[in-house]
Amino acid sequence: MKLPHPGSLVAFVIVALVAGGFIALATVSGEGPTSLSIGPYLRRVLAFSIIQAALSTLLSLSLGAALALALARRRFPGRDLVLALLGTTMVIPTIVAVFAVFAVYGRSGWFTQALSFLGWTDSFSIFGYPGILIAHVFLNAPFVARILLDSLSLVPAEQWRLASALDFKPSHIFRHLDWPVLSAELPGLAGLVFLLCFKSFAIVLALGGGPSRSTLEVAIYEALKIDLDFGRAAWLSLIQLAICLTLTGLLNWTLTRPPTAHTIRGLIKRPDARNGSLRILDAVVLAAGSLFIAPLALSMLSGLAYISDIVDADLLRAFMTSVTIAIIAATIACISALALASSARRWRVALRSPRIAAFYDFLPNTLLAVPPFALTAGLFLIVRRFTDPSAAGLILLPLVNGLAALPFVYRSLAPRLLTAEERYGRVAASLGIAGMNKLAIMDWPLIKRPFGAAFALAMALSFGDFGIIALFGGQELVTLPYLLFERLGAYRLDEASAIGLLIVIVAFLLAHASGRLSHAGD
Amino acid sequence: MLRRSLIILASIFLANAAYAQGKPVLTVYTYGSFAGKYGPGKTVEERFEATCGCDLNWVTAEDAGSLVGRLRLEGADTKADVVVGLDMNLAAEAKALNTFAPHGVDVKDLSLPIAWNDDTFIPFDWGYYAFVYDANKLPNPPKSLKELVENPNGPKVVLQDPRTSAPGLGLLLWMQQVYGEKAGEAWTQLKPRVVTFTKGWSEAYGLFMKGEADMVMSYTTSPAYHISAEKKNNYKAAAFSEGHYLHVELAGMTRATKQPELAKKFMAFVLSEPFQSAMPEGNWMMPAKVPASGLPASFKDLVQPQKALLFTPEEVQQNRRAFTDTWLNAAAR
Repeated sequence: MKLPHPGSLVAFVIVALVAGGFIALATVSGEGPTSLSIGPYLRRVLAFSIIQAALSTLLSLSLGAALALALARRRFPGRDLVLALLGTTMVIPTIVAVFAVFAVYGRSGWFTQALSFLGWTDSFSIFGYPGILIAHVFLNAPFVARILLDSLSLVPAEQWRLASALDFKPSHIFRHLDWPVLSAELPGLAGLVFLLCFKSFAIVLALGGGPSRSTLEVAIYEALKIDLDFGRAAWLSLIQLAICLTLTGLLNWTLTRPPTAHTIRGLIKRPDARNGSLRILDAVVLAAGSLFIAPLALSMLSGLAYISDIVDADLLRAFMTSVTIAIIAATIACISALALASSARRWRVALRSPRIAAFYDFLPNTLLAVPPFALTAGLFLIVRRFTDPSAAGLILLPLVNGLAALPFVYRSLAPRLLTAEERYGRVAASLGIAGMNKLAIMDWPLIKRPFGAAFALAMALSFGDFGIIALFGGQELVTLPYLLFERLGAYRLDEASAIGLLIVIVAFLLAHASGRLSHAGD
Repeated sequence: MLRRSLIILASIFLANAAYAQGKPVLTVYTYGSFAGKYGPGKTVEERFEATCGCDLNWVTAEDAGSLVGRLRLEGADTKADVVVGLDMNLAAEAKALNTFAPHGVDVKDLSLPIAWNDDTFIPFDWGYYAFVYDANKLPNPPKSLKELVENPNGPKVVLQDPRTSAPGLGLLLWMQQVYGEKAGEAWTQLKPRVVTFTKGWSEAYGLFMKGEADMVMSYTTSPAYHISAEKKNNYKAAAFSEGHYLHVELAGMTRATKQPELAKKFMAFVLSEPFQSAMPEGNWMMPAKVPASGLPASFKDLVQPQKALLFTPEEVQQNRRAFTDTWLNAAAR
C-alpha cells in the first residue's frame, strides 16, 4: 500500500481536530444548545463586526501598501531596524496595545495634550470606530507593509534591467512591476487581517465604548465561561467559522495568485527612486506612517523603568517556558505548512487540479476563523481521554499556538515551493528525483531561508499569545503573557508594562532575525 | 532543537512530579493572581505544608469563570482536590456540576456581613464592590449610587462588561438591587458617562490609573493596596448610602478527590488564622474570619458600608440572562 502524501495527512489531521473539537464541545452535555437563535442584538453585533473588520482591513492594507512602496524605493540608515519594528507590532499582546492607544489618544494622552497645547480644546473621544480602527491599523498595517516589502523585493533583476532599458516611467513601473506583485499578495493578506479584526475581542470591548461595539467572540466567551452552555458556544463558533470562510473564500476565489517566476534576486537600484514627485510622496508617506506608528510604539517604552523590578527566578522560568513552547509551536507550524504546500503544489502542477490545490491553500485560513477558546475547550475534551488532564495544557498549548501560526507561515512558504518547482521541477522529474529527496535536493536550498524566517515569525506569534493560557495555566505552564496578567490582577501595572515590553523586545529580535533571513539573497 | 526543547518541557513538568515523591500531593485549583508572585498562594502553601506532611500543588485558571469552565470540562476526572476562588455569583452553576462534596467545616463565628449556612462552599474572603477615585482629582465624589447615576454632570466612570467580568456582573446586580424594575432606565441615564465597558477588571483599573476616568468599579479594599504597597493615601472608595453589593469568594472540596482526609484538613485550614491572616495584604480582601492578630493598618480606615446588598446564587442563576439583556438594551443603543 502506498503511504498517503504527508500533506494529505496534515490536512486530514487539521480537519479532524477542528471537527472533532466542535463535536466534542457540542455533545459534552448530552443536550443541544439551549438557544439556536442569535437574536437581534447578535445580528447587529455581526453587522458591526463585518463593517469594523472590513474598514480595519482596508486601512491596514492601504497604509501597509503605501509604506511598502515607499520603503522599497528608499534606502536610509536604520532601515533594517524599521523593518524589524514593522514585523513586531502584530505580536503585541492586545492589552498592551490597548494601553498604548490610550497613552497616545486617551483623555490624558500625548495626542490630546498636543491638541490642547495648540488651542484645540474640544473634547476628542477615541471610543467607537476611531479607537478600534487606530488599534487594528497599528497592529496590522506594519505587518502588511513587511510582507508586501518582502514580495516587492522578489521582482526578478532581469525585469528591472528591462525596465531601465525601456526607460519606464514611474507609472509604468508601478503598473508592470509593482502592481502584479501587490495584487497577488493583497487578497491573501486581506483575508488574514479581516479574520484577525473580526475576532478581535479585548480591543473592541475596551475601545468600543459600549456593548453595541462587540464581536461574536464575546458571545462565544460568555457562553463558554459564564453560561457554561458549550452547545451554544459550538453553535456560535460554527456561525463565525461560516461567515469568515465565506468572506475569505470569496476573496481567494475572485483573485487567485498567478504563478510566479522568481529568478535572480539581488539589491536593485530602482530607477523610479530618482523621480522628484515620488520623492515627495514617499517622504509624506514615511512621515505620516512614523507619526502614526512611532508614538504608539514609544509609549510601550514606559515599561523600561520597571524592568529591574521584574527580573527574578519566576520571570526566567516563564521566559524559558515561553521560548520552549514557541519553538515547538513553530516546528508544528512550519512542518505542517511545508507538507500542505507541497501537496498544493503537487495538485496544481503534477496532477493539474487547481481546485484541489486551492483547498490546500485555503485550509490554513480555517484555523484563523475558529475561536481559539472554543477550539481549545473542544480539543481538551478529546485529549482528556488519552492523558491526564493536568498534562493536557502541555500538549494543547504548543499545538493550538502552532495551528494559529500556520496561516502566516503557509503564506511565506507556499509561493517559494512553487518557485522551486518552476525552476527545477522538470529537471528533477527527468532525473527521477521525488519525495523526500526532492525536498532535500531541489526545494531545501531555495526555501531554507524563508523557512527560517517563517520559523522566527511563528515563534514570535506564539510568544505573545495569551489565548488559551487563560484556561490552562498552572505552575508548570507559566508563560510571559500569563505572568503579565497575573501582575495586572495584583495591581502591579508597572511590572505588567515591563513584562509587556519584554515580550515586544523578544518579538522585535525574532522579527529582526526573520527579516535578515528573508532578505538575504537566495 | 526540537528534541532539546521537548526535554526541557518534560523536565519542567517532571520536576514538579518528582519533587512530590513520597508525600501525598494536594491539588488545589485557583485563579492566577491568587497563586502568583504577589498573591497569598505561596504563604498559604508554606503554612499548610508545615502541618500536613504533604505537598500542596496549585493549578491555576485565569479567573473564577475559567475555573468553573475547566471543572465542567474535566467532569468526574478532575484532578482537583480543592478549589479556592469561586464566587457567590457562580456558586449555583458550580453546585449544579455535582463536582463538590459537603465541606463539613464549622462555619460559625465568621466575620461576614451575612449569615453563612451553605454546606458545599465555605467563604475564604470577601469585600464590597465600590467605586474607587483619586481624591486629589475628585474632591466631592457622589454619596450614593443614585447620585452617580442621575447627575448628568457627574464623574466619568470606567466599568467592566458583565458578560466577561466578575465586577461587571457585580455592578449589574448592584444596579438591580437599587433600581429593581427601573434598572434599564438607570443604565440609560448612566451610559453617557461610562467611558467604556472593558473585558476584565485589569483593563478598567489600568485605564483609571492612566487618567481615562474619574472613577472605576472595583472594591472597597482597593485603597488598602495603594496605602500599603505604594504609600499613597489619595485613592479612596466612595461610600454609597444605599449599601454596597457584596462579593464573597468561596472554596470547596471535590467529590473526585482521592484523599478526602487531606482535603478536609485543608478546608478547615482555610478558616484558620494562618490562612486568614494571609488574605488582607495578599489578596487585598477582607478575611472571612478576622484573625486574633486583627486587620493590618492599611485596612483600618477603609469605607465600612452600612448595608450589604446581595442576591442568592439561585436568584443570580435564574435572572442573570434577563438582567444582562436589560443592560444590553439600555447600553447598546
